[in-house]
Amino acid sequence: MEKIIEISNLAKSYRKRKSREIIQAVKDVDFNVYKGEILGLLGPNGAGKTTTIKLICGLLYPDSGEIKIKGIPNTDNRLESLQHISAVLEGNRNLYWRLTVRENLEYFAGNRGRSRKEVKEEIDELLHMFQLKDKENELVNRLSRGMQQKLAIAVAMLANTEVLLLDEPTLGLDVQTGLEVREILKSIVKNYQRTIIISSHDMDVIHDICDRTVIINQGTVVIDQRVDELIKLFEVLSYRLTLNEPLSLDQQKAISTRFPTNEYVEDQVYSYLTVQLEKSEDIYQIFQVLQLNRTPIDSIDRKAIRFDEVFLKIIQGDHQYAMD
Amino acid sequence: MQWINLFRANLRKEYLEMKRYLPNTIALVLTFYFIFLGLFGVIHFFGDPSTQDANIQFVIVNYIFWFLALSVIQMFGFEIVNEAIRGTLEQLSMSPMGIWRILSTRLIASTIIYGIIIFVLLIITMLTAGQWLNIDILSIFPIFVLTVFGMYGVGLMVGGLAIVYKQIQAFLQILQFLLAGLTFIPLAASPLMYFLPFVIGVDLVRDIMIDGQTLINIGWLPLTILFINAFVYFVAGLLFFNYCERMAMKKGLLGQY
Repeated sequence: MEKIIEISNLAKSYRKRKSREIIQAVKDVDFNVYKGEILGLLGPNGAGKTTTIKLICGLLYPDSGEIKIKGIPNTDNRLESLQHISAVLEGNRNLYWRLTVRENLEYFAGNRGRSRKEVKEEIDELLHMFQLKDKENELVNRLSRGMQQKLAIAVAMLANTEVLLLDEPTLGLDVQTGLEVREILKSIVKNYQRTIIISSHDMDVIHDICDRTVIINQGTVVIDQRVDELIKLFEVLSYRLTLNEPLSLDQQKAISTRFPTNEYVEDQVYSYLTVQLEKSEDIYQIFQVLQLNRTPIDSIDRKAIRFDEVFLKIIQGDHQYAMD
Repeated sequence: MQWINLFRANLRKEYLEMKRYLPNTIALVLTFYFIFLGLFGVIHFFGDPSTQDANIQFVIVNYIFWFLALSVIQMFGFEIVNEAIRGTLEQLSMSPMGIWRILSTRLIASTIIYGIIIFVLLIITMLTAGQWLNIDILSIFPIFVLTVFGMYGVGLMVGGLAIVYKQIQAFLQILQFLLAGLTFIPLAASPLMYFLPFVIGVDLVRDIMIDGQTLINIGWLPLTILFINAFVYFVAGLLFFNYCERMAMKKGLLGQY
């Protein structure tokens, strides 16, 4: 696959204004972004995500390391590299609130040296795509936050760049608009062959639309993996059995002996047994124990790991175990 | 062509925002007019009657240029601070045209719009004062362009400070008085005045508008000095602005306010 962005040994530190303390925001960051993919950039607050995005956008100079955009080093040839990148960094704050929807699109296109005539059809297409056609002559300050967010993405789209960087694209949006934005992003990749980098706290967004994720913690990359592979890495064979009768003490002892990590709870109606198996055939051993007292089984559920659980495990350092 | 599109986009934006913030624009024009009336009243009622006409003409030209200098020089700083507050400064910085080009075209656009307003105000002030200045467009225009060019240089320097420090409003207040000094003090006051920004340009415009000089009468030497002065200030301003932009990027100050 063609590399669109190459990041190597990136480091950036800041000096705090009052205390003069030096903060190492990013250190030894290495990863590539490939053409046509949606890359999710994840990390807890203060991990270095925004710094990394700003470094890619050429809004910050690194202390060391290099970022190449389509082979162009973005510190040496900043303006040339910016021809391939557009971004939404602060969502609806990236717009002029006293201009209308169409005027904003035309103005930002003009700032990239494009004429109103040249972008007219593209703007019409984007307004339809982002469902803003009926609002095109509305001042931005009269739009809902969701519409403003969509407009900010449309402005970035109009730049016609191969790479689109979105910092928290669904932050503060209601559920419906959040889903609309996700669908729009998917269709951008599918229909416009763009490469998208998304920084987000919303695990659902990353899980739903990203092909690959780079997780940054304390300024360094801790994971660079395809999302589906990442989930597989952390997937465990965990089953939860709902029983119609409680287990006898002998049964509980037998299960504890064979499956030390089990969890057993009872309530007034059901008993619940959660076991972690090494291989799926091991479930027959559970059946053997249950058969001792012919304990009736109400249901068996495979417990799937959620993406946010994977993220937490990685941040807590469990990824080394999974990777091994 | 990209430059033209960039200029058109910024001219349109300046016009639209001026229209949308109409009360602000009207307040600005009225403030300008009432301050002039105040100055006119002082000269009329308390000044020496024998030099009254010359004094009023002197005040009209200087006041117009002070207003222009304020608009042009402070605008860079104000625009950067406003864009940082709005959250659009980083967006502008991400244009492959470069932020200085965007702000320069915006400044040219705004100079044109303010130029029209100032011209109308000039006519109104002349009507109010009953003093008619020599408006020789052919002679004034090249000097005006070079003078404004030098002002842009100073504006870029102020913009450079704004991009790093952001909270420069107090400095801009002081700057108003410095600019008043540069526009009101005549060139003859000291040879050092030749080295200061736009002073020579304002002096030449005064020669044309008050004393009825023409471009040919002025001669090539003052015009050459004006050209060098404007060029040096513009280049120095541009270099300083780019230096400050790089510093802001190194320190992570670009979008901060």
